[in-house]
Amino acid sequence: MSPSLATSRAAPQPAIRRVLIANRGEIAVRIQRTLRQMGVETVAIFHRVDADAPHVTGADHAIALAGDTAVAAHLDGPQIIAAARATGADAIHPGYGFLSENAGFARQVAEAGLTFIGPDAQTIALMGDKISARQFAEAHGVPVAPSVMPTGDLDAFAAEAGRIGFPLLIKASAGGGGKGMSIVREAGGLREAARLAASEAQRYFGDGRVYAETYVERPRHIEVQVFGDGLGGAIHLFERECSVQRRFQKIIEEAPAARLPAALRAEICEAAVRLAAAARYRNAGTVEFILGADGRFFFLEMNTRLQVEHPVTEMITGLDLVRMQLEIAGGAPLPAQADIVARGHAIECRICAEAPDRGFLPATGAVRHLHAPHGPGIRFENALREGQKVTADFDPMLAKLVVDGGDRAAAIERTIAALRDLALLGVETNVDYLARVLAHPAFRAGDLHTAFVSEHAESLSPQPLADDALDRTLIAAVLGQRIFRALVADVPEPQASMGGWRN
Amino acid sequence: MKMKLGDDLHEVKIIARRPHLVVSIDGRHHTIDDPGRECDGPGTLVLDGAAVSFARVSSGGSVLLHLDGRAIAVEVIDPLDEAEGSGHGRDEILAPMPGAVVQVHKAAGAAVTRGEAVLTIESMKLQTTLVAPRAGTLLAVLKGAGDTFEKDEVVARLAPVEGDQ
Repeated sequence: MSPSLATSRAAPQPAIRRVLIANRGEIAVRIQRTLRQMGVETVAIFHRVDADAPHVTGADHAIALAGDTAVAAHLDGPQIIAAARATGADAIHPGYGFLSENAGFARQVAEAGLTFIGPDAQTIALMGDKISARQFAEAHGVPVAPSVMPTGDLDAFAAEAGRIGFPLLIKASAGGGGKGMSIVREAGGLREAARLAASEAQRYFGDGRVYAETYVERPRHIEVQVFGDGLGGAIHLFERECSVQRRFQKIIEEAPAARLPAALRAEICEAAVRLAAAARYRNAGTVEFILGADGRFFFLEMNTRLQVEHPVTEMITGLDLVRMQLEIAGGAPLPAQADIVARGHAIECRICAEAPDRGFLPATGAVRHLHAPHGPGIRFENALREGQKVTADFDPMLAKLVVDGGDRAAAIERTIAALRDLALLGVETNVDYLARVLAHPAFRAGDLHTAFVSEHAESLSPQPLADDALDRTLIAAVLGQRIFRALVADVPEPQASMGGWRN
Repeated sequence: MKMKLGDDLHEVKIIARRPHLVVSIDGRHHTIDDPGRECDGPGTLVLDGAAVSFARVSSGGSVLLHLDGRAIAVEVIDPLDEAEGSGHGRDEILAPMPGAVVQVHKAAGAAVTRGEAVLTIESMKLQTTLVAPRAGTLLAVLKGAGDTFEKDEVVARLAPVEGDQ
């Protein structure tokens, strides 16, 4: 099919007409939604276990992938590229996870003559390696945590480490699991701590070299949404705060960050833009930082894809990030930075199949009943259907609840109400836990850091039901039991009436 | 009936049936003006004059509820003992969860004592024996080996005891 002269002249329209979405679940459904609005055809890929999944039934075209497991199928780059060719797709959107940050896949997509909706393979490779990314950031004036490289000379090491400032974290070069690690808070303790760390490292790893880096206490996780044009132009769409985490994974994200001074916000966003511009970054990306209580911030890593939490940025900017991705991939210029304006406050909660009261272990089951919250300012991003099994085959994230409000307090209230309205039965979830986090005084106060969940573990545990709530619950439960109904009904009239009369 | 919520055991007792159902939970009395529908899904009941909305799903020996903005699992404990305690012999043996019959121990017409095995069933790879809730004679055994059933389905029936009905 060759494009007509008329359509090829329509410059603001992306040249992309049919997109294969190399993903599944909520993100595949969310990308489809924008493509449909843009009049772009969608191609779904699926493993047989997903044959009747929403991302398949909602697509214009769907193609089955072979594979032992669904995950293996979604990681099979050559098969996915073949599917794109077979269905006449001209671009591939990778979503997040799976092959989204795989430089080899991005290269193969480009070599197949298709558009990869994301950065080029070289940029993915640069940012995918922690050391090369850190060096690149440092070389372009983006703050990285100061560190002293390993040395065998303890005196020289202590002198150099002392110049960084305190507190410091001493780590074993060959280390892991906390062995050979210690926190040093003042110059006096530095040499002794380094000596102990070195001897411990020698004992555990047979390598006594230690290094030191700035220790960030109660760090916050702040990230900046950026877009680049691939030619050195870059803009930001403000920051997100993702400090509330469990098992090193985010569970609540918000935009803008809570209690972040305007000057510091600008500084962090500018650092992210500097990095994206220097990398000649193309399309959507996220630059992650840790922010210390003292206002110092350091580059953590860059994610070269659409993030799970991108909707909070969409809510405060009024922009559709997937639409922007398509437009940029189609050659459209970036919007002007001055035109990007943030309003209000947005919060995302990751709804996960897990047991918050048992160490957030993943839970399995089936979606037996689902009532999604709805209303103004509420997005429930999901690909759930009643009866669907929840297995350990995929990530435990079932859905995302994204809510906005005029300000942070309003967004928190509306999110709590939406969480209480959300009913998902048949598998244990963290819905009630999330509501407790949002209602916690420290969360409301914006006193966030990455150890929030463990620091407040006790006050975040569930409260026992009051008697009236307990009785309502037991009565609603017992009335669903056929045996109980039979006990209520199956008695002769005279006995049933006894003692039951009321005035 | 006894129910477990977390680690705590609670008992729901029927105090009166008409004109309205009155139950006692751990000694607290409640009037159920409208019990709502028995089936799973969203529901409403009227309790002590106030409407209570909820969603309910039965799952094995548990009831999953969404009520007052929270999800709560309630475990149903040994309903047969509860039936015994209420003073009425039960005539039916119900399947506690969906599954299949592995073995039939007693045929229709056989005499059984309380607690005697009638059927062995398998649900979710676990075998369970369904026993007679009281002494009596089996009127019917409704499922044979290999037959499947749903939760709460009647799988066997005892002949009614003289004078009970």
